[in-house]
Amino acid sequence: MKRAVIAVVAAVGGFAGVLGFNLGGSRAPLLRSGAPASNPASSPPATTPPTSPGGSTTPTTSAAGGSGPPPTGVRSAVGTTYQYGYGQLAVRVTLNGSSITRVATVGLQTADPYSQQLAQQVIPLLRHEVLAAQSAKVNGFSGATYTSEAYIYSLQSALDKLHKK
Amino acid sequence: MTAKPSSAPPRPGGLLALGPDESGPPARATPSAPRSPAPRPLLVDLALAVVAVGFGLSVGIALTATSRHQLAAPGGVALFLGNLTGLAGTYLALVMVLLISRIPFVERVLGQDTLLRWHRRLAPWPITLIIAHVVILTIGYAQAARTGILHEIGPLVNGFPDMGIATAGFVLMMAVAIASFYPIRRRIKRENWWGLHLFMYLALALAFAHEIVLGPSFVGHPVTQLVWSVAWAATAGLVLIYRVGLPVVRSIRHGLVVEEIHPEGPDVVSVILRGRHLERLAVSGGQFFEWRFLARGMWWQAHPFSISARPQPPYLRLTVKCVGDFTSALARLPLGTRVALEGPYGTFTAHALRTRKVALIAGGIGVTSVRSLLEDLPKGTRPVVVLRASSEDELVLREEIAELVKWHGGRLHEVVGPRTAQPVEHLTELIGDLHKRDTYVSGSESFVMSVTRLLSVLKVPQEAVHADVYAL
Repeated sequence: MKRAVIAVVAAVGGFAGVLGFNLGGSRAPLLRSGAPASNPASSPPATTPPTSPGGSTTPTTSAAGGSGPPPTGVRSAVGTTYQYGYGQLAVRVTLNGSSITRVATVGLQTADPYSQQLAQQVIPLLRHEVLAAQSAKVNGFSGATYTSEAYIYSLQSALDKLHKK
Repeated sequence: MTAKPSSAPPRPGGLLALGPDESGPPARATPSAPRSPAPRPLLVDLALAVVAVGFGLSVGIALTATSRHQLAAPGGVALFLGNLTGLAGTYLALVMVLLISRIPFVERVLGQDTLLRWHRRLAPWPITLIIAHVVILTIGYAQAARTGILHEIGPLVNGFPDMGIATAGFVLMMAVAIASFYPIRRRIKRENWWGLHLFMYLALALAFAHEIVLGPSFVGHPVTQLVWSVAWAATAGLVLIYRVGLPVVRSIRHGLVVEEIHPEGPDVVSVILRGRHLERLAVSGGQFFEWRFLARGMWWQAHPFSISARPQPPYLRLTVKCVGDFTSALARLPLGTRVALEGPYGTFTAHALRTRKVALIAGGIGVTSVRSLLEDLPKGTRPVVVLRASSEDELVLREEIAELVKWHGGRLHEVVGPRTAQPVEHLTELIGDLHKRDTYVSGSESFVMSVTRLLSVLKVPQEAVHADVYAL
């Protein structure tokens, strides 16, 4: 009986300790989802406001129109939001002329922190590959097959919108 | 508590009469072996508090790992609950391992039967929680991925690191859990069930990696990762030290071999072992060891038997009733067989005494622990001893008991006859002040139960009742 009391009091104490520690702000719960896994490293800050996933072409500068055979100017599009096994993501691509100048992820949402961490690790690598290859024809990363597929799929749909091969 | 040599009880019994010259003088006086250290309940309360705090922490880190935003996402609630059940269930599994890790200071206070009872009572909780963890998380991921539950199983097992081995661990855990389910367990031989049960350690080990690598409370939280890993490593260490290391060291140090086996009564034999340094084996009267007889077909199973006398270096004696395959084989052991031991265990000792008035009640083979306990009772205790048996020749060790009772200035009653003719209620007539005494009762489960029931009717406080149940 006495030992039951000890156990209950100690367990509640431990529980309250964790909550107190968190409310104290030293380890506030991370708002993981929603925060886009942007990759600001090498690109200038975004000039476009984030478009809603699946949004259509949003020309940023005067250029573009849909008709001219080789489109010129700076323009960007957000690809289809892709549901992969552990979450969803969409890719926004910016072209200057026919070259890919910028790739960013919008609306990355994962089911669990592990998938989030994995996505955050692999997305910069994918981005790097895309910028190097100047197309969506890149290899995925093993260990992150689903994330890679989603990224490439969404990127391709964005490029399609901009009529880039 | 340490008795002076002059006030030590006599050492009756076959041990000193060993050897060819039975009528010869007793062997040289040997220093008395130390008793098992006194129990320290405060330490156990402290350990209990630490373990309980750990449970609170586990639930706490499950709650704080999920943000409100994540909860609102598809499958968010299920993913949260899956994490919570996983953490709570796994922590309770850790507690179950601790309960059977044979930590000496815990064993001395709570006793192995109590620890095993807690272990058994706790068992359904971690199992249920871990099943819930698996089911709920599969649902949660299916919701998050907007796919069917069955479709999600493949990606879950293949798409995450360490999930393959964790799944294997889960399957193993379920197999062991099903085998431990009472209606199934009682159909399995004790040794086989025990061997199967060991796979639970493997199951828990296989599951460990996925907890750390995938658990929302651990991903990106090095502190919780560290604490969780240390807790499991420490538990594994305790198991290795106290269930493997210490018994091996002790067995090697004492190097016990079977010296003599002689019958004590119908189907009852005394096994006398010879060993080294037994004067350093700290054991109290009334305690038992897990014995492992290193003979063909027997070495892999350990069985609990009480010592029927305190060590008389270089001898140690256990007395066994031959009821099963194992105990019957025991009676035919070749002399010189090596014997390994694990222990001592048991709280059926003089440490449990609360008063100076003692009643010792032994049913059948339960006499063995009462016999060795009698050697440990403080001088002037004047115990009342009741030996119960269904026939006269089943009153084994009666001469030794009589001699010790006489030395203590106590009283001995021998009650013979079937239990219908000699109901336990007769004890109140034999021992008028039973309700004022510390009562030690040993024997089969049904015998011990009937006596403890009588004592609770007499309003004897629970702390004054000390039981030693023999699984026959």
